[in-house]
Amino acid sequence: MNSFILEPAEDTPEINFNPETNVFYISKRSLPENAIDYYGPVLEWIQGFLDEKPKQLTIEFKLEYFNTASAKQLAKLLLVLEKYKESTKILVNWFYKPEDKDMLASGTRFSKLIPIDFNFIEY
Amino acid sequence: MLEETENRKLNFALELFRIMQKDNLGYIYRGRFNQEITDSILSLTETNLDKEEESPKIKKRVYSIMVECLQNITRHQDDTKEESNDSFGVFVIQKEGEKYYITSGNLIDKENIPNITDLIEKINSLDKDELKDYYKEVLSTGELSSKGGAGLGLIDMARKSGNKLAYRFKDVSEKFAYFYLHTIPSLSVEGEDFADDESLTNIVHIHEILNNENILLIFNGVFNQGSLLSLLNTIEGQMAGPANTRRKMFYIVVEMLQNIVKHGYSNKNSIGNPGLFLISEKDDNYFLTTGNYIEKQNVATLKKKLEKVNSLSGKDLENYYNERLVDFDSDNNKKSGLGVIDLKMKSENELRFELTELDDKMSFFVLQAKVKIT
Repeated sequence: MNSFILEPAEDTPEINFNPETNVFYISKRSLPENAIDYYGPVLEWIQGFLDEKPKQLTIEFKLEYFNTASAKQLAKLLLVLEKYKESTKILVNWFYKPEDKDMLASGTRFSKLIPIDFNFIEY
Repeated sequence: MLEETENRKLNFALELFRIMQKDNLGYIYRGRFNQEITDSILSLTETNLDKEEESPKIKKRVYSIMVECLQNITRHQDDTKEESNDSFGVFVIQKEGEKYYITSGNLIDKENIPNITDLIEKINSLDKDELKDYYKEVLSTGELSSKGGAGLGLIDMARKSGNKLAYRFKDVSEKFAYFYLHTIPSLSVEGEDFADDESLTNIVHIHEILNNENILLIFNGVFNQGSLLSLLNTIEGQMAGPANTRRKMFYIVVEMLQNIVKHGYSNKNSIGNPGLFLISEKDDNYFLTTGNYIEKQNVATLKKKLEKVNSLSGKDLENYYNERLVDFDSDNNKKSGLGVIDLKMKSENELRFELTELDDKMSFFVLQAKVKIT
């Protein structure tokens, strides 16, 4: 399986999934004009990957900012992961800057709403 | 006093929108000017000039006149030493059809009025070649070089614009007056357009509203993802304040502007929705205000939603957010339903709004979020 890579832009994040390490990495900013269209292919790809029943998957969020439309798509992504947690060991690493309380609060909210394993990591 | 601020009507936003629409005023900055702010205004304009695909010649003209204007404000703002909001300078760019208009306003000592008047009248009486000679003459004699060559700046602006300079003074106090300078970079080699006095009158009027409301920045134009991103860059460059406040403002600005992009209404088949965005400051709070058209049929739903969000706080608001976050049934490309809830949460204050019926199809919607500067 090939890597899945989306280059960052001013309003979209950097997305990099490496199927050799099974680490999915999403960083920078997310405020696309149309979040559903932007995240559609990402969700589709990750679903395809999880259908292969890999042993484990780590997803790392290192976002500086995301808008509410993106928040909804991230919730969708995490719900997809949850669906597969019987067949794949899923771990979420949520990075936040110590001074960025909003980013920590967003991660905490997701972890309460969606029952998968979360690590919170200051950077 | 606080009471008055809280209850202040939002109708100034519609008034500004109307005046600015009428004169195609694009961008206004009001406040202290420094190198950083000057740079970010220049770079915003540069991006916009690039987008508009203007000829290199026009770009250069507009750009160099802006530089002169901005330097003029920066150079003279300390002369007046009045630490009140009235001492803020103002800078305005407007574009009408093919033409750009650049206006600066700053406080000066009234003593200088006769000198400035004489100089501009002299400049306006000279033709292109005479102006060139006069420039050389002043340059060599060092006459007029009261402060870093303000005189030269004016001559230079007139030369670069290829047009006459329009100007006006307005009394502020016994000692000080505003000096407004209005320039049109000519599109042809020979100047032919005369600076428009009526549009200067409007700017003077707008400046009054800006002072009353303590408005620091206004953008009036078409809102789409592109203008949103340029505006975010400018705000990041221009807004002072603690990192936490700036971050909250960033969140709020994105949601408010994307609101216009997604829910605003345009009666033309344009590349975005017309609207107004402004930032004002009062009593240690920033106020972020947007104004845009909405279709009348959507007014009731919008009002209900805002009232509901305003009625909730703390845990209830959080729960409402969570509910909407994972509600994908109502999902479509147009709405996430979360934006307004997030605005209230980030602002930690009631959202203020005003809906004004314009005709049988459209209303004007003003929304204001407050952020405490902490």
